[in-house]
Amino acid sequence: MKLTADSLEDLSTGAVFLATGGGGDPYVSYLATRRVLEEFGPAELISVDELDDDAYVAAIGAVGAPSVSLELLPSVDDAAIALAVFERHVGRKVDAVISFEIGGGNSMIPIMAAASRGVPVVNGDGMGRALPEAQMMTYPIAGVLPTPAIGLDYAGNIVTFSTDTTATYERHVRSMAQVMAGMITTVEHPMTGQQVKASVVPGTISFSIEIGRILREHRGNAQRIYQPLREAFARSLYGDLFHIYTGKVVDHASSVIGGYDIGEAVIESFDSDASQLRISIKNEYLVARIGDQVVASVPDLIVMLDYETSMPINAERLRYGQRVTVYGVGCPSFYRTANAMAVVAPRCFGFDFDFVPIEDLTHAHRPLPQLKGR
Amino acid sequence: MLRVGIDVGGTHTDAVLLDGDDVVASAKALTSDDVVSGILNALEAILSERPGAETSIEAVMLGTTQFTNAVIERRELSEVAAIRIAAPSGRGLPPKIGWPEDISRCLGENNYTIRGGYLYDGWPLAELDDSEVRAVVDDLRRKKVTAIAIASAFSPMNPEPELLLEKVIRAALPDSHITLSHKLGRLGLLERENAALLNASLLSFADRVVSSFVSVIRQRGLKCRFFVSQNDGTLMDAEFARRYPALTFASGPTNSLRGACKLTGLDNAIVVDIGGTTSDIGVLRDGFPRESNVVIEVGGVRTNFRMPDILAIGLGGGSLVEAGGSKVGPRSVGHRLVKESLAFGGGTLTATDIVVASGHASIGDVSRVSAVDPGTVATATKTIMATLNLAIEKMKPSSDPLPVVLVGGGAVLVTEKLKTASEMLRPAHADVANAIGAAIAQIGGEKERLVSYDKTARKAAIAAITAEATDIAVAAGAELSTIHVADIEETAMSYMSGRTTRVRVKVVGEIAGLSMPEAARVAR
Repeated sequence: MKLTADSLEDLSTGAVFLATGGGGDPYVSYLATRRVLEEFGPAELISVDELDDDAYVAAIGAVGAPSVSLELLPSVDDAAIALAVFERHVGRKVDAVISFEIGGGNSMIPIMAAASRGVPVVNGDGMGRALPEAQMMTYPIAGVLPTPAIGLDYAGNIVTFSTDTTATYERHVRSMAQVMAGMITTVEHPMTGQQVKASVVPGTISFSIEIGRILREHRGNAQRIYQPLREAFARSLYGDLFHIYTGKVVDHASSVIGGYDIGEAVIESFDSDASQLRISIKNEYLVARIGDQVVASVPDLIVMLDYETSMPINAERLRYGQRVTVYGVGCPSFYRTANAMAVVAPRCFGFDFDFVPIEDLTHAHRPLPQLKGR
Repeated sequence: MLRVGIDVGGTHTDAVLLDGDDVVASAKALTSDDVVSGILNALEAILSERPGAETSIEAVMLGTTQFTNAVIERRELSEVAAIRIAAPSGRGLPPKIGWPEDISRCLGENNYTIRGGYLYDGWPLAELDDSEVRAVVDDLRRKKVTAIAIASAFSPMNPEPELLLEKVIRAALPDSHITLSHKLGRLGLLERENAALLNASLLSFADRVVSSFVSVIRQRGLKCRFFVSQNDGTLMDAEFARRYPALTFASGPTNSLRGACKLTGLDNAIVVDIGGTTSDIGVLRDGFPRESNVVIEVGGVRTNFRMPDILAIGLGGGSLVEAGGSKVGPRSVGHRLVKESLAFGGGTLTATDIVVASGHASIGDVSRVSAVDPGTVATATKTIMATLNLAIEKMKPSSDPLPVVLVGGGAVLVTEKLKTASEMLRPAHADVANAIGAAIAQIGGEKERLVSYDKTARKAAIAAITAEATDIAVAAGAELSTIHVADIEETAMSYMSGRTTRVRVKVVGEIAGLSMPEAARVAR
């Protein structure tokens, strides 16, 4: 299947939806990818099934502070150079590239690499959303090693990684990103087609495009978007979509602890009859509570949309007074397995409770309030 | 103390004369093609009510939508050279990327990207290259482009590359008009560069417009100081407005909100400005308009400007009443209300006719609406109230009850108490709220910077940024003793060490040299 520039705007919007607050603003990545596709033609998007078991696949994306890309613009050839550097480093060509994170700008980078280097991009990723740390990806959870890997900065400086564990890799890559201008492009987690099939969250590029298309076609407030979104998720490998809350952001405080953005957002309903919703943030929206009741938690997805336009909102863009609707979505089933739970359960983020799937948190199933739209 | 406020809109030019807090005179004139005679007519009308006032007027404040309209209508825009100092980053993403083609063409194909700028941690992105700079200057000389916008990476943190290049260009090309991106705000290179480009393209027009404003005021014998109101409800002096016309882009709705604040004395309220076609709903927070959260596009170009958060709904005096009154708007007869509505002898049932039929206003010929079905009148009234209540509910910053201020010619549509309002106010002079808003504007200053709280203690960092914002406000004409902090915004940078935080401080103060009432000096 050909991936053309026409799909990029929808992909970009859908990717912010799946980024659950993290992932950064994909506008610049979107502009760069559009340029690449205009110059090199469409990217070849292949399904996971089309991969040979012995194909050699590498994951590509950006690691660092999303806000840095506001000033340090990416270049349209970053992805192509990074992939060439990786191939030189490992001494062979890759058969396909894959995204390590569908949420935010990292949905775009593999597409730029694929189009400009003439290799296919796999329709899928290693998170199905955005998550803050490397060991939380499906690839390492399934036993894929992160290295050999390379990192490339804006000026063409290169670093190579060879680490024994994923935890060490996460520590090293994070440190290098900080000293290499705050943001680097990495090519990592080389794996076989068979390993991809065992670990990937499949179909997430086309699913992002579908979500983006729904948000565009039903352009309007969260009321109008609810039913079509629910139907789209019901057909997907994600769980059901639930309306959690609609209201106004009355507080948003955060501070950087241990290299991450840790904070909380408080949302109050328009009519103030209901209790406030509190969302805990570590780069992404991790836990939503009403009073003492958890209504959604990681690894399930918590998504915040601008109430008026239904555009998803990144955590860094969250503002006091903003009118929002919060949805919860069941995560892909991979993340509900014991192996995955060991690294992505609420306790892994320091929360003192066990994971309960959103569909079992029955009090989360509140109907969308009947506000009339414009 | 006498002050004059003028609002130059697309249709009307309004003027008010304020004596302290009192509206002494107000007038509406049609905006003229040359703008000057419209202003002169409005001025004449208010000055005739207080003969001899010319000598005791201390300041004239003017709000205008001329520059916004120029961008939207793609007229009066000069060719501009865009110079970005950020290579080798951003390869393939040249200046003006993502712009609508028509406005991009207006500014011409003069895009340069050269080495230089800084990284987030203060490390040089690249060294500025003399030969690259010389090549750009030679090219500008050859092309005779005089309007120039310069943007360098992380310039809100370190503007040195922009300042250096400006110096070189001024020395080589003394006739050039240069806008530096760091003077226009916050992080976000593309949006900041876009703002600098729009501003640079308006410089020549701004020079003419501001000159004619100044000359018309002098012509009418006013020798006082003159200010132009900007997006955030604060003022800039004429020289600053000449250099930063882009800062007026949202001054219209801002002045309407600030005017409502002045007319009612309320610092926190919902303001509903009902016109012929739409109602604009905004929120006053501590006397200033609440700002919007989304990226603001001006004429299709993404910018980083601060703009008031306005919810516009399709309900006004000219709104069509359909489906037995269950549908009012968004279609409207607009300015043809005085011809097409029933009350004015036309054949179209409008929201205004409903108000007349229900006996709440006598507009036009009351007898002409007597045939309107009472059921339709009741249903339409209900629809109007429900539409406004819902929109107000969406805009309310919290569930606490807030007063609602009704301004604009369509305010008569509200015939019952809005259930979302703690109280409803219909101040006198509400029809010239914009001009009043211009008259009472203040001087503001804003500074944003990335800081590491590990390197600089939080308190000291905020104090240093506040001092810089204060310098900016004083440079723009504010009285130092009246300056207070209006807003502090902290954004923790994810993934970064050293507790790196983006801090933005906004201060406001009264105009230097004006004798303000004591109450206005007290910090909120």
